Amino acid sequence: MNGNIRGFGCKAATVLAFGASIAAVSSPAQAGIYDAGKVLATSGVNIIDGAAGGGITPWAVIAGYETNQGINGSIHYTYANLPNYSLNSLGAAIGFYDRLELSYAYDLLPTGSTFNTVGLLTNTLAGVVVQDSGIDPFNTAIRMDIFGAKLRVIGESIYDSDSLMPQVALGGFYKINHNQELMKTLLANKTKDFEAYVAITKIFFPLDLLVNVTVRYTAANQTGLTGFGGPNKNKREFRPEVSFAYLLAKNIAIGAEYAAHGKNTDGRGVAVGGNVDTSVLGSITGALNNIGIGGPVGNLANNLNDTLTQRESDWFDVFFAYFPSKNLSFVAAYANLGNITLTPKQTGAYFSVQASF
Amino acid sequence: MKSYNKLLAAGAMSVLSMSAFAGSETPEGKVQATYPPISSDAYEKFGGEYGVARWTEALFKYIMADNRINHIFAAHGKIDRQIALNKQLVSVMLGAPGVEYQGASMSAAHEEMKITLTQFNAVVEDAYLACEDVRTPYHTCNQLIAALAPFKRSIVTR
Repeated sequence: MNGNIRGFGCKAATVLAFGASIAAVSSPAQAGIYDAGKVLATSGVNIIDGAAGGGITPWAVIAGYETNQGINGSIHYTYANLPNYSLNSLGAAIGFYDRLELSYAYDLLPTGSTFNTVGLLTNTLAGVVVQDSGIDPFNTAIRMDIFGAKLRVIGESIYDSDSLMPQVALGGFYKINHNQELMKTLLANKTKDFEAYVAITKIFFPLDLLVNVTVRYTAANQTGLTGFGGPNKNKREFRPEVSFAYLLAKNIAIGAEYAAHGKNTDGRGVAVGGNVDTSVLGSITGALNNIGIGGPVGNLANNLNDTLTQRESDWFDVFFAYFPSKNLSFVAAYANLGNITLTPKQTGAYFSVQASF
Repeated sequence: MKSYNKLLAAGAMSVLSMSAFAGSETPEGKVQATYPPISSDAYEKFGGEYGVARWTEALFKYIMADNRINHIFAAHGKIDRQIALNKQLVSVMLGAPGVEYQGASMSAAHEEMKITLTQFNAVVEDAYLACEDVRTPYHTCNQLIAALAPFKRSIVTR
């Protein structure tokens, strides 16, 4: 799908244009609204949803290095290499007076071998299967736009070291998954949905430790990359996320994150014909057997019946973050995303770079 | 007589506990409690009287070279006195025994200056640089940062 790739380039241009507009206010004179007064590393990094936080979890920190004296922002590009997917996230976040954060991210998830198999199967069975599965063999990429907003409500994670008062923020995302046919195939209830969250961040300087707890109210499957809700409903639920960052130096942090995921489509098949679950494959298998096609083809269909069961796992990562300056930071992580739809054991390397103004 | 002994013991105890807290009293006269508490050997790890002195001098070297904030300190004048008071303050915050801070309260000393959070953070950044200068480890430096961070509320007025 060259269109997807072009689309990504177009998004990149948008993000860079955004960056340039921030840069326009970042005059060396420092008069006016530009500010970069936060202490190094205390604005976190940009997550794949675009907000400021760790790698996958939004924190109560506001993006950019501004204090209450002005505006700042950051752009990010993240790449995760998984056995059956690669995850690309490109985005920008702008922080207003260390109070309000607006963010945008474009997530692109080219899918690999398993979806190719499903695509080949559905193409081969085109006579039996009438619905467009949304899967184009060897060329299926999931695309999602994510718009975010976050408001710091109370507390200051750094300066309230004489109390247990944490920094608290309320935030939300509106996510638009552009693969409508594929989401039907994956039995998701919706392709567009909102998420809301409360994030609580506290830095314990005597321990060199940052702790974050976020509770997200969401119906997302795999953050929305495979849609929202299950076969019959789009029921949002509260899911916990936890991050620890241990500060090795003023510009180096290591840590771990955990994010609970839902079970909307866990244990379900995929719909490769009409609105029917993979049970349709049972009848295909039966039909193939009835007309005397056993052997390799019949076995293939039987095996697919097992293979085409979706699973979803909680996400986990360990990360290394390096902040050589306020203007540039890097994250290298090991991500364990477990089962993603049809494919098990999606673990791999995660790299992210962000630039601030 | 027995009860008098008890009273005396209680009095001695309270004096002892007061003197134990005296080392961590803020210029506002309150105990600077952090969560969790800073490590009990922070002053020692910082290098004691000599270490705090060298660190404070390094801090002012960076502050006076920092164009974001040096004009504020220069306008206030009496840099030597500022350094001396900061040595006292840092010693008290780190739990140094027998040291007294003789300057004004944080809010009284800064209220005229209309300090911004960006300027306050500039001092924090210079504090980390000073730690690196005198080879004070990041973890030890953070004990001091934890104790000084709450002063943001009385120093930053804009």
